Amino acid sequence: MAKRCETFDHTADVGLAASGDSLAELFEALAEGLADLICPTGQVEARQVRAVHVEAEDLEALAVDFLTEVMVTIESRRFVLAKAVVTDVSRTSVDAELAGEALDPARHEFRTEVKAVTYHQLHVAQQDGRWTARVILDI
Amino acid sequence: MRGSLAGCVPRQFQLPGRGGRRPEVGKAFAGKIEQLDANRWRIPRDSRPDMRVDGIIFANKDLIDDVLSGGGPDQVANVATLPGIVGESLAMPDIHWGYGFPIGGVAATEVSAGGVVSPGGVGYDINCGVRLLRSDIPVQEVRPRLNELVDQLFRDVPAGVGVGGPFSFARQEMAKLLAEGAPYLVEGGLADSADLAVTESGGRLEGADPDAVSKEAYARGVDQCGTLGSGNHFAEVQFVEEVYDEQAAKAMGLAPGRVAFMIHSGSRGLGHQVCQDSLKALRSAPGKYGISLPDRQLVCAPVDSPEGRQYLGAMRAAANFAWCNRQLLATHVRRTLERFMGQSSQSLGLRQVYDVAHNIAKIETHTFGGRTGKVCVHRKGATRAFPPGHRELPAVYRELGQPVLIPGDMGTASYVLLGTAAAMETSFGSTCHGAGRVMSRTAAIAAARGRSIEKELAAGGVIARARGRTGLAEEQPAAYKNIDAVVDCVVAAGLSRKVARLRPMGVIKG
Repeated sequence: MAKRCETFDHTADVGLAASGDSLAELFEALAEGLADLICPTGQVEARQVRAVHVEAEDLEALAVDFLTEVMVTIESRRFVLAKAVVTDVSRTSVDAELAGEALDPARHEFRTEVKAVTYHQLHVAQQDGRWTARVILDI
Repeated sequence: MRGSLAGCVPRQFQLPGRGGRRPEVGKAFAGKIEQLDANRWRIPRDSRPDMRVDGIIFANKDLIDDVLSGGGPDQVANVATLPGIVGESLAMPDIHWGYGFPIGGVAATEVSAGGVVSPGGVGYDINCGVRLLRSDIPVQEVRPRLNELVDQLFRDVPAGVGVGGPFSFARQEMAKLLAEGAPYLVEGGLADSADLAVTESGGRLEGADPDAVSKEAYARGVDQCGTLGSGNHFAEVQFVEEVYDEQAAKAMGLAPGRVAFMIHSGSRGLGHQVCQDSLKALRSAPGKYGISLPDRQLVCAPVDSPEGRQYLGAMRAAANFAWCNRQLLATHVRRTLERFMGQSSQSLGLRQVYDVAHNIAKIETHTFGGRTGKVCVHRKGATRAFPPGHRELPAVYRELGQPVLIPGDMGTASYVLLGTAAAMETSFGSTCHGAGRVMSRTAAIAAARGRSIEKELAAGGVIARARGRTGLAEEQPAAYKNIDAVVDCVVAAGLSRKVARLRPMGVIKG
């Protein structure tokens, strides 16, 4: 099975349910799932790469901080994503390359405003060799 | 600062499919709860070993079922565990599930007793709030041209996902705006000092620390001051439908049949990022201060600690940004109306009634447990409702009590209330903030399938314009509790007094 990410509904908000064969794939799936929710990744060309490095005290906090970095990259730096490649990951740090381009309102549909990545019912786990995560976003 | 009021390009969006999963609404409350009287329910302190005080939920028989199934009561009990909490962990009748605190939650912590401040008690949208402008314009004068007016407001007021506005501020200007709040806009000619006099806290919280705001938060807010945003935020054309207290209504300039404008928005991306940053910064605080918490979204630190001061400094800066945001939104509305009517604001009698914050934490002096002291009052989806005579009220309202602005759903009504002495005694001077959601966004979209919410609203005399395809569906009247029942409950509980009911005629949403 390849990496995948679906959205699910949570009261007034939306969650990401992601999975992958490795922790690297899981983080890629989460990043791409979040990016796609804000601006469809299919509309974006991978013209530039931005490297990000995030550290946190545990795996769940790392997932929140990494997704926050992705959200900030899109919402503050106006850099929309086509894909994410995790180059190095442990339980407390992640290095990734975010491939995409500057937001162009003529070509990119900014469809969801994500306020925040929350800690509510946050879950990252490995079972039977597959990594899964659930993260709820405040939209 | 620079600013022009050129319209901005609307962008369409739609939410993706959500895999057919059932919405996760809050779980039904399984804990102990007892009815105290017609409008109050208690979750006793002894029902959980970690609760420090009772939980009190204001609700009547029409509301209690939604309250108990909405996921809020467990959160009321969670908030009751916070160090330094005094009185009770309170919830207003519009309570529903939120991150950490429930929406509708009120908690006061005693500063000198190690009381904590929690970003979860304010929320991601710091100083989300409501502003009301009144006018002398008779409703009959606007009704025939209502479509045109709503379309014009829709073009002029920046709203929607990722939409910036015509006002932008250089970094140094933004730092001043965060430190000084709405008074800063007076210097630039974008606000009137008369508006500040009728804005909660004068549109400025003392102790804001622009240096505590991250560069990411600055970047998210740079072009968003003066933009509505999306979700439940709106600008509405309303008219005064009914007056319950003539003396108070007169003092506020509210007369039946006159047009009014209501704005509901907050601190936009800047505030969201301040909250996100603060939750991260506070992650290690509970361990450091020996605080054990039932929910990670309740991370907190003593008010009187470096971490607590850092959060309060950043939160106040975001609150000041929000007051500037609503000020600039009001400027958009004013300019549009002046052009539309071909008259000045002065000759239209267009002036601000009041502006309230309903997501905020403030250091206030209250009497509790037989003593008077400084407390940090968290109001998350709750409105300050100070009584007549309170020294923080502007002279024009001091004898009446604080005006409280309660936005309802877009098809029903909004209310103007007044704060009371009973609110000061029982809820740290707080009351409800709105109708409160009962339906998830997906459930609302599903319920709207095959219907045109726009046409249904139009049949009820409300012209609505929204940028997103699903915006009206998500915010349809049925997605909310009955605002009349919520207001009746706070009035019956003594937390507020009714002044006027306003009916929506035109709605603009992001």
